Amino acid sequence: MSSTATRPDTSYFLRKLHSFTGVLPVGAFLAEHFWSNSAALVNAAKYDEVSRDLQTIPFRPFVEWGVIFLPMLFHGVYGVYIWLRGKSNVSAYPWVGNWLYATQRHTGLIAFAYIGWHLYTERWLTHGKSTYATVESDMQNPWYLLFFVVGILASSFHLGVGIWNFLCKWGLVATAKAQQAAGRLGVVVGVVFSIVGILIVISFRLNWHPFASYYISK
Amino acid sequence: MTQPKIIVVGGGLAGLMATIRAAEAGVPVDLFSIVPVKRSHSVCAQGGINAAKNQKGEGDTTDKHFDDTIYGGDFLANQPLVKRMCEAAPGIIDLLDRMGVMFNRTSEGLLDYRRFGGTLYHRTAFAGATTGQQLLYALDEQVRRHEAEGKVRKFEGWTFLSTVIDEGRICRGICAMDLRTMEVKTFAADAAIFATGGIGAIFGRSTNSVVCTGSAQSALFQQGVDYANGEFIQVHPTAIPGEDKLRLMSESARGEGGRVWVPRNPAEKRRPKDVPEAERFYFLEEWYPKYGNLVPRDIATRAIHRIVYQEKLGLDGQAAVYLDVTQIPRETLKRKLEGILEIYEKFLGVDPREEPMKVFPGMHYTMGGIWVNGEDQASNVPGIYAAGECEYQYHGANRLGANSLVSCIFGGGLAGAAASKYAKNLERGAASTSSAAFDAEKKRQEKKNQKLLSQDGSENPITIWRELGDVMTEHVTVTRINKNLEAADAKLRTLQERYKKINLSDRTKWSNQTLNFARELENMLILARVITLGAVARNESRGAHYKPDFPDRDDANWLKTTRAKWVNCDIQLTYEPVDVTLIKPRARRYDAVK
Amino acid sequence: MAETKQVIIRVKRQAGPKEPARWEDFSLKWRPSMNAIICLRDIAENPVTRDGKKTTPITYDSNCLEEICGSCAMLINGKARMACSALVDHLEQPIRLEPMSKFPLVRDLAVDRQFMFESLKRVKAWIPIDGTYDLGEGPRVSPEVQEKGYPLSNCITCGNCLEVCPQVNEHNQFVGAAIISQVRLFNMHPTGAMNKRERLEALMGPGGIQECANAQNCVHACPKGIPLTESIAEVNRDAWKQALLGWLLG
Repeated sequence: MSSTATRPDTSYFLRKLHSFTGVLPVGAFLAEHFWSNSAALVNAAKYDEVSRDLQTIPFRPFVEWGVIFLPMLFHGVYGVYIWLRGKSNVSAYPWVGNWLYATQRHTGLIAFAYIGWHLYTERWLTHGKSTYATVESDMQNPWYLLFFVVGILASSFHLGVGIWNFLCKWGLVATAKAQQAAGRLGVVVGVVFSIVGILIVISFRLNWHPFASYYISK
Repeated sequence: MTQPKIIVVGGGLAGLMATIRAAEAGVPVDLFSIVPVKRSHSVCAQGGINAAKNQKGEGDTTDKHFDDTIYGGDFLANQPLVKRMCEAAPGIIDLLDRMGVMFNRTSEGLLDYRRFGGTLYHRTAFAGATTGQQLLYALDEQVRRHEAEGKVRKFEGWTFLSTVIDEGRICRGICAMDLRTMEVKTFAADAAIFATGGIGAIFGRSTNSVVCTGSAQSALFQQGVDYANGEFIQVHPTAIPGEDKLRLMSESARGEGGRVWVPRNPAEKRRPKDVPEAERFYFLEEWYPKYGNLVPRDIATRAIHRIVYQEKLGLDGQAAVYLDVTQIPRETLKRKLEGILEIYEKFLGVDPREEPMKVFPGMHYTMGGIWVNGEDQASNVPGIYAAGECEYQYHGANRLGANSLVSCIFGGGLAGAAASKYAKNLERGAASTSSAAFDAEKKRQEKKNQKLLSQDGSENPITIWRELGDVMTEHVTVTRINKNLEAADAKLRTLQERYKKINLSDRTKWSNQTLNFARELENMLILARVITLGAVARNESRGAHYKPDFPDRDDANWLKTTRAKWVNCDIQLTYEPVDVTLIKPRARRYDAVK
Repeated sequence: MAETKQVIIRVKRQAGPKEPARWEDFSLKWRPSMNAIICLRDIAENPVTRDGKKTTPITYDSNCLEEICGSCAMLINGKARMACSALVDHLEQPIRLEPMSKFPLVRDLAVDRQFMFESLKRVKAWIPIDGTYDLGEGPRVSPEVQEKGYPLSNCITCGNCLEVCPQVNEHNQFVGAAIISQVRLFNMHPTGAMNKRERLEALMGPGGIQECANAQNCVHACPKGIPLTESIAEVNRDAWKQALLGWLLG
């Protein structure tokens, strides 16, 4: 390594961008996505209303590509590049952080594959017009169902650990104590997302609508 | 005239300070070290560094520091340069402070000072319990900066073999060996500064690091560089016994209130905590009420030996006494002694905050070393300078705690400046020396390697080394009896004979540590004899040198420096007067007001 | 039993960087408080393998033997640690000794950690003093800063934090936690802060702080208990602030 290289190089900015896009917009979109899909827990009509509202936002292609698809694509592709630059050693050093490091890579890849497939089936094949009925019919396929469950858990885990990583790597939490607290926050995020995600899946699969009484028709 | 150049051998405190001073003087430096300089033995110094800054308003002065040093050294040190060192010490602390050493601080943000052995003042600046490490790192960083600027070239992983001395008896460079490729090479320089540290390995087990073999000093001695006061070996009163090394338990443990004691009843079976105060014998406090646990090291060491061997009060009948810090508040221990307490806990598996430590004296430091003049660290061979523990200048017959770091930095700085001046003023530099001198030295050293690698014998170098350590520790440390010393020398001569028959179990030519060790061993044996013969001859007791048959200091006959010379491949002892022009020698007694 | 108790050591031998590696087993006489260095010395005194074959003494680095010089780091039973403080009685046998894997091998257990010293140069890990002549006292430092800085300055450059870091490998020139922590130390000092900008810039270059992926192995492996993850977080914060503000405000 040269001893004169002192300028911040592109790898620094790309790494920071990767870390940042994981939370904003990818993480935020995930939250929004779980939120809007939890409409299924109310009933099919509510779900279709929410879906329709989203389908009718202005500048839709720009928002979809600029805020969702491209950041996700970058986060995923650069994430794979980062994975290739690391060399996991969790068998020699089975500390919690090291497990998370290793799992973050695997869940990232699963989530990336899942999201790609999810986009293909629920966005591409439906031309962006999925309804409760289309999702419900997909869920009857046990393989779809399994992939949904795995994908949701992987994404939730990845986001939870990602938030912890983000807070540490941007120095927003520095002391050991603060990092522990951030870790607990990550656990909460991961667990909440997992629970909500699985509830949504159950809702579709079993036509289970625990909040049906909330519904007021338009 | 060509650009002058300096070689520094040794990358501890003294060597690094010499390097910095030379680089500042605009003279390029080649710095040689067996280990990466950041791993030098200076890191092991724990307690602190002395300077009379009078920061506690006790009326401390550099004169008092000077007096304590001379008195502590039992008047064997030449006084003028010691005085200069004590006067320079406050400035050295300032310098280290500017270099960013994380010294402990007072609430005002000033340096904090602690008390150390042999003084009544808070005079010792410290960085936790790893002051030497912190100081070494500060200098290492400055040298790294000079290195980045191209003023210093480092040769880490090289060992010094010999100097190149021309027909005019002037040093023109060195011969060194790359410890990886085992290549022998000569390097020209106008002056060479030696800062090669301690000689602990000669005593087998000591508080010193592995590289402290004294091999370089011995090699120089065999090339005509005189060696002074070799017989003065400091045995540190409180070391943690271990098979591989004696790990130091710093004087700072006592400086912060640690107390040395044994149960009054030698058959005591209770746990130390359960022994009531009245049944504990705080022998240092009883015998030396004024200084208590902080008497100088030679006094404390002999007191512990007396407790164990004469009073038979050693713990469980073994060679050990308690060093107790359990009564010191936890918070103080954490802030000021954490590093050394961790060492004890790590290597012994016992928590010294809960249970008193078991300690016993261990070989620690050589007051003796390369003879240098009283002016500027120059040896008797032109172009050769020495600084730090490897020279004899500052500590007389016994070194005070926390004076070694200051002497390393002061001496190193002095040597760096002096060697630069010498190199610049040389009429004919090393560049003018014929290559024949270099070639001859290289051949001589290569031949030695060749012989060691090819000879078949029956002796193992490590076995010889262990025996060397045993005989030196038994007879040439705390208590010296002429008959035993003579037997020790006879043993050393047998070991030298046996050395001729050593057989290297590794004959490869890549990173061969056995070859290097064998080379060092030969030098160690010679230096061991210098020490022993010096001890035989000196029929008095002074500082660390104690002979029960001659229990008193004898200024009439022995107020003189031993100066060993290598004459016709043999050791010859000569003597020269000590410069005592500034403080008149007086009796050294720590049990009464001085 | 203590008389006959044996210690079994397996050492990964390699005569040089390009030579093949092999394992050798040794059987040594057990003694109390034995550590890995004592074992290696025993082997040097009698270099004979367990099955009676003559061999060469093992090449390894060591110096202070009290865990403060940083020399004797190696893999002991697969884990990076200092050999001098690895007590035999606390280790499962056979005790496996291997060289660190993230640094170029020299021979047997000795490796070349020059990379770390070069990295220290690169981040200007020093206080830029004008000279060693007498310029009076240094800047005042509060006990609070000292208590934060002192643990950081205990770093012995042993390389364990690099060895255990999954981001340090042949694809990646990551400088590692030790160096980042040194940057924090020097940036914390009143005079050192004058080079803060350059140090952070160096750490945003190739192999810089961005390579850290928060596995946090470093802090567990550090023999000196340095709060490395705290250092990384703090330097990370300073770095992006500087990068962002530098870009926004020049």
